[in-house]
Amino acid sequence: VDFSQATLVYVVAAPGVVFAVFGLLWLLGWVPRELLLSRVTGVMFSASVLGLAAILWRLASTGSRAVEVTFGNWFAVHDYRFPLVLMADRLSLPFLAITVVLSGLIGQFSATYLHRERGFFRFFLLLHLFAFGSLLAFAAASFDLLVAGWELVGITSVLLIAFFQQRTPPVENGLRVFAVYRGCDIGLLVAVFAMHHWAGKASFASGLPVLTGMQPMIVCLLLLLAAAGKAAQVPFSGWLPRAMEGPTPSSAIFYGAISIHAGAYLLLRVQPLLAQSLLASALVIVIGLLTAVQGTIAGRASADAKTSLAYASLTQVGVVFVEIGIGWKWIAVAHVVGHAMVRTLQFLRAPSMLHDYHKMHSAAGGDLSPTGKHLEDLFPQRMQLWLYRWALDRCHLDTILDRYAIHPLMRLSRLFARLDGMGKAALSLQDSAGQEAD
Amino acid sequence: MADTGMTLRAVAIAIPWLAAILTAVGRRQVRAIGFTAALVSAAASALLLRAAPPRESLDETLMVLFSCLALGAMLVIPRRDCTFGTISGMLFILGSTLLAYSTQNLLVLLAAWILTTVPFLAARLFGARTWRPRVGLLLSSVALAAATGLIAANGQSMSIARLKGQSPGGMAVLGCLVLAVIFRKGICPAHAWVADAADSGPAIPTALLLNGHFGAMLVAKLIVPLFPHAAHDLFPMLSYLALATALYVAIRALTENSPRRLLAFLALSQSACILAGLESRTTEGVTGALVHWFVVTVSTMGLFGIVRLLEVRFGENLTASRHLGLAEHAPRLAVYFVIFGLALVGLPGTLSFCSQDLLIHGTLASHPQTGLLLPLATAMNAVSVFRLFTRLFLGKRRTGFTVMADALPRERWILAAGVLFVVLGGLFPNAIVALQSAEAETVEQAIAPPIPSPQP
Repeated sequence: VDFSQATLVYVVAAPGVVFAVFGLLWLLGWVPRELLLSRVTGVMFSASVLGLAAILWRLASTGSRAVEVTFGNWFAVHDYRFPLVLMADRLSLPFLAITVVLSGLIGQFSATYLHRERGFFRFFLLLHLFAFGSLLAFAAASFDLLVAGWELVGITSVLLIAFFQQRTPPVENGLRVFAVYRGCDIGLLVAVFAMHHWAGKASFASGLPVLTGMQPMIVCLLLLLAAAGKAAQVPFSGWLPRAMEGPTPSSAIFYGAISIHAGAYLLLRVQPLLAQSLLASALVIVIGLLTAVQGTIAGRASADAKTSLAYASLTQVGVVFVEIGIGWKWIAVAHVVGHAMVRTLQFLRAPSMLHDYHKMHSAAGGDLSPTGKHLEDLFPQRMQLWLYRWALDRCHLDTILDRYAIHPLMRLSRLFARLDGMGKAALSLQDSAGQEAD
Repeated sequence: MADTGMTLRAVAIAIPWLAAILTAVGRRQVRAIGFTAALVSAAASALLLRAAPPRESLDETLMVLFSCLALGAMLVIPRRDCTFGTISGMLFILGSTLLAYSTQNLLVLLAAWILTTVPFLAARLFGARTWRPRVGLLLSSVALAAATGLIAANGQSMSIARLKGQSPGGMAVLGCLVLAVIFRKGICPAHAWVADAADSGPAIPTALLLNGHFGAMLVAKLIVPLFPHAAHDLFPMLSYLALATALYVAIRALTENSPRRLLAFLALSQSACILAGLESRTTEGVTGALVHWFVVTVSTMGLFGIVRLLEVRFGENLTASRHLGLAEHAPRLAVYFVIFGLALVGLPGTLSFCSQDLLIHGTLASHPQTGLLLPLATAMNAVSVFRLFTRLFLGKRRTGFTVMADALPRERWILAAGVLFVVLGGLFPNAIVALQSAEAETVEQAIAPPIPSPQP
């Protein structure tokens, strides 16, 4: 293991180790001080940034395409292998970089923002777990390992949405987001199985699995389901405004920067496969376009700052999907990096938005003309009203999901409950008859 | 060597039974007696496992797992439940279960099978208030007794080793054995007794009974070795039934509000996944099933234990129909609950991530269409377990409690041990997976012809 390989292992594993050590000690009764936790977080992520810079320098100076660390198989059964290989290449490095930079920044911001908050320790633990999951997903050299990181990002996201646990709406919204994530992740699981089944591997360290005929299309469509769920694309966009119930720093890093772009990363990773399937590429473009339009329309009718920013984020991610569908891979990567940085800043400034506005207003001499109404002016009055109603209900996406997926499932569940209850009802009659006889 | 093995088996089985009698004398120290007996049993089982040949250690592995589970149960059981009846009943189940795992004789297996159900048939011990658990357990015993009787009537040996590959008694015996599996395991449509038993019986002893996984044991120990060819034809049907059960129960759990029933449904759905994996006829699927057996056993015991601890602290009327906000009072129990719960449904970093991965690959390889039900069922189970977590632990803080509500040191350490098992097993799964993989190859080779695994 050379220096860059050891550094890559450190970058990925460090947040996981911090999470495990602090979590286990807390379970056994120890509660760390805020200062210790924030210092450890700061030092750890600073070292990670330096480490990534060293890897980048090494790659640039040697002309290598990637740094790879192979640990062998995590487990192996018969012909099936779960390879434990980490990789930092030209695609994963930008994502690794935004993860460590923004996680460190969010850690430092939150040390002040959440000072003396009851969930301070919980927030930091989840931040570390999230960073570990993201880094694992971006540094994975196989789809099997990517699933592990992907799922960790999902669960931490949900636990942070329910951060203010005393209030019911965040908790219920967390559950809703969890359900969407788990439902869509089935696509990823089945896609990984399909790659193993058809190509004998799901690793992409030495190139993507070779698929032929209809296989690339099927795999890409399954991955698109997972990517759309994670990136809140149509028709799963309804969970994004619900996710704004979490604390602002977590909203910034999850829905402004990293988690929301994980879907784009997945599609970028399989871009050569996507290029083999016209249907899948077209679907990625259509979904991206629909999401961008939906995001901009719904965002204009949002009454709170964070939701507006979330929809703005959604619009940009929709555009990124379009770029991926067209095949503009590196434009999409640049778009993701730029967007993540800007949006994080906007989210972190959201609590002081009014203050900022007033400052700008005074600086402009009290004459700050309104912006952002160009799109509305293009439409006639009646259509504007129709669009407004449509936007108020967030384009009816949640209603559609409820009506055609969730409610039928719940009805089925209640039907099963009634079937199960038949025997029980017979028993109650029997019991009451017995008691009366007694 | 054989004598030592026999002695260790006798110690592992007899000590819990003797201790069950001893608890009648030392009623004030029932927990200490139970703990010591379970510890001795676990130690004897571990020594047996160490001496066992690598490819034939499934029985010994299960003995270690179950005795450790009983040991944990002795520690986690709340003081209110720590009575002579409960501890002696649990020790009785421990001894009987170990007897069932270790025996190679059909009659002894039948006796052990019936003995494990006895405490649940007696109203004074663990008898549920409803009829379905009694009927389910009785019917499973009757089915196994009928199979054993038919084999005996054909004048064949009672030794499982001698009966291997002979299809004794033909389809009639096989049918009875399958019925025994269906009733004991709670496969649809015989699933309702499990939820009733968990709801109206004692939580921790019921979890102990369910985690014996006698249905899966019967498949691995009897059906596959005795009826390899018939099993090959019948397995797809059993597999479909298991997958249908996993999905049916997962859907059923979505609207269940009783925490105990909900946990029973989750345990049932995940146990059905074990059966589906065993019947997948692929090494990946069978290995996944055997590893998942470990995960389901530890996680469901942890979950039932935590729910019982909550009932003792906050009242028996816990419900998932509203938010109870118990995390404010019991934050560590909340964390243990969410880890055990998510470990049950494939959280990365836990052993179930590996087992679910193998299970999904195995079942999809053998049944590409119906195999899709497995990830679907697991996704729904994940939603149910998270829903239960949010309803029990999150929400507005309840007031009026003056008790020390969070996990006591005794509970904390044993629950931490369970968490460490599922997490360390997930981080370093190769030891467990490799061990079970060898067993799985033995099981798979018994069924001819195997489905070829995907070639790299």
